[in-house]
Amino acid sequence: MASRFERNTSRRRIFNLQLLALVPVGIAALLNTGYQYLRVLAENPALESDDIRSRIARGLGASFQNPEIYDMLAAGLAHLLPILALALITGGVWERIIADRRQRPVESGFVLIALLFTLLLPGAAAFSHVVFGMSFAILVGKAIFGGEGRTFLSPALLGIAIVQVSFPGSAGQHPLWQGLSGYGGSEAFALFHRGGEAALNAADINLWSAFIGNTPGPMGTTSVLAVALGAVLLLVTRIISWRLLVAQIFGLAVFVTLFNMAGAESGASTMTVHWHLLLGSFLFAAVFLACDPAASCCTNPGRWIQGFVIGALVVLIRIGNSTHPDAVIPALLLASILAPLIDHAVIAVNIHRRSRRHV
Amino acid sequence: MPGSIGLETRKVSRIALSGRDFRGVNFELLCQQGDEVQAGAALMRDARRPSIQFVAPVAGRIASIERGTRRKLNSLQIDVDESIGVVRYQPPETLDKNSLREFMLASGAWSSLRTRPFGNIPHPDAEPAAIFVTALDAEPLAPEPRPITDAFSAEFRAAVDALAGISAAPLYVCQAPGHTLPLGDSSKLRCVSFSKGYSAGLPGIHINALCPIGFGGGEVWHLGYQEVIALGHLLLHGSPWRQRVISLGGNAVKTSRSLCVYPGSAIDELLAGELHDGSITVLSGSAVYGRELAVDEAFLAAGQRQITVQREALDEAGAGTGVLIPSEALEELAPPGIYPVPLLRALQVGDAERARELGALELVEEDLAPLSMACQSGSDYGVLLRAVLDQLEGLR
Repeated sequence: MASRFERNTSRRRIFNLQLLALVPVGIAALLNTGYQYLRVLAENPALESDDIRSRIARGLGASFQNPEIYDMLAAGLAHLLPILALALITGGVWERIIADRRQRPVESGFVLIALLFTLLLPGAAAFSHVVFGMSFAILVGKAIFGGEGRTFLSPALLGIAIVQVSFPGSAGQHPLWQGLSGYGGSEAFALFHRGGEAALNAADINLWSAFIGNTPGPMGTTSVLAVALGAVLLLVTRIISWRLLVAQIFGLAVFVTLFNMAGAESGASTMTVHWHLLLGSFLFAAVFLACDPAASCCTNPGRWIQGFVIGALVVLIRIGNSTHPDAVIPALLLASILAPLIDHAVIAVNIHRRSRRHV
Repeated sequence: MPGSIGLETRKVSRIALSGRDFRGVNFELLCQQGDEVQAGAALMRDARRPSIQFVAPVAGRIASIERGTRRKLNSLQIDVDESIGVVRYQPPETLDKNSLREFMLASGAWSSLRTRPFGNIPHPDAEPAAIFVTALDAEPLAPEPRPITDAFSAEFRAAVDALAGISAAPLYVCQAPGHTLPLGDSSKLRCVSFSKGYSAGLPGIHINALCPIGFGGGEVWHLGYQEVIALGHLLLHGSPWRQRVISLGGNAVKTSRSLCVYPGSAIDELLAGELHDGSITVLSGSAVYGRELAVDEAFLAAGQRQITVQREALDEAGAGTGVLIPSEALEELAPPGIYPVPLLRALQVGDAERARELGALELVEEDLAPLSMACQSGSDYGVLLRAVLDQLEGLR
């Protein structure tokens, strides 16, 4: 039960808890990004180029011969840190300019946006795309609506979406390691679409590695275990709505089961529920983007409906549109735009019911 | 008689009737500063509805009459002197509607009734859709109603019979589960148990569940169990019940406990010697539904059952951002059947029509107190709700 004396610290408390919930995801992102990078180089040392990432990795002492935890962390840092720092600087500069113009204090929320945005990018994302996406997230995603709490889309989601739409070759649904010129590795999801479970096995992806996040993909989204830890924290502290989260998973499960029952021999529609949950960025986005309280439905029935719609849209786009093998970002965008409409309908029903009872 | 509940009695030297406890009343004084008044003597009446009288809870001398802006009555303070005596009221011989209402109006008991919507004293000629007696208290550290209603079972029963007689409407007695109250067998009587969380004792919750207020223009009345006992005391003994049971609690209080005190006791006298040193916040009510005492509120409010004193956790962040961010906490603390976020947003922008559609008529300030605490915006939704209710009342 909330006590009177929690109120004034609650804004900072929520912010801190949200950051804390991202800590396991961040650690998993470091380890997996480093692991994937070192694995690629161990297989094909000729790919190493003389860019800033490999220089940082080498400066930190990462060696790709028999990599240990430290090597993975160092290589992961070499990928995550530059992107995060750039996103933070970009966001911070814009926040500062906006705060000066509006004569208001700087809102700290851009830190969270930068972190989410970074975790949704592949480790080899181009720096110009980071600046572009983060600027878009802060300006169009947040500032023009009046700042924190007044947005109707999650700013990080919008930033990632604009990067995916503007540069379809470099981020999101495409190979993690494209930044390493010449290597044609592929994200786990696309692998399944092309070759089913056999292709996953060939790429060393099994249930366990997908669960702990040892698969190629956007940096922060691969580890279901880390996402689950963050989700538990956010659910226990009642920052996100359990209804919205459960409804998303339910919607996904229902639609996947329907497609499975349709009985295709191969291809995307044969993918089972657990692979849908384990691969791609669905769970990460479901917890950290879709449950953004300012950008989702604000009534409980609305949350059930919106969650179900998200799950259904993810499956429909994943199966129906091979150019978006992950599908989570477009599905979330559509569902977020629907949220006010869903709320409007739910409230209209409530008012109608209320108007029919008299004393 | 205090001994019959087995509680410590704490007598103070000053008490007061506070104007803010009686919303919408334009007080007309029937006494002057310096007058000696008996307990139960009429002190004031409502200028617009002169049959509604306000009586002295305890005998004493009128110490001061303080008025605020636009000559609104702030408080009428009395220096207690029990030796001055007690007014005797002749209980009605028959329990018919008119004589019961006349008795309640003359003896001051009518002023303990409250309406929903709006939380006013009901009009003497009005007909409610239902009357609610709140005989449970689920708030943290609140006094336990059961020993009190048991100790005054005859008074409680007599008053419930009388309340059943003042209108044709059903009389709901809301109680804790397993608590069998001593009641008569009127056909209008309905006993209902509530048990879920701290809000189980709020009249707003009971009204919402049993007789929800729609757009039809009707109203329901409610009153608390101690006010019921006070009415029963008048009916059985002809004299006002000169005590109330309150609880004193919170982490700044040395010994949390229940006390027998005069109605309207001076709070500084009640708290003398009870508190730990250090900066404190005094709440009228519990830590969940209570409200911080303003500087000018030095006396127990009508119907108040709790004083909570907390060590102050001073905030450095200052006021909130004004932006409402939905959270699970808001959903859990909202009154049942009400969507908190749309309602609070309507209140923030002062959209009275939308707030009415979303259920504002079922609420008064106390129902939204936990939402104001849980919301990081820093808005006081009680104040915003009252502004909207005032608008809606003007339209009726």
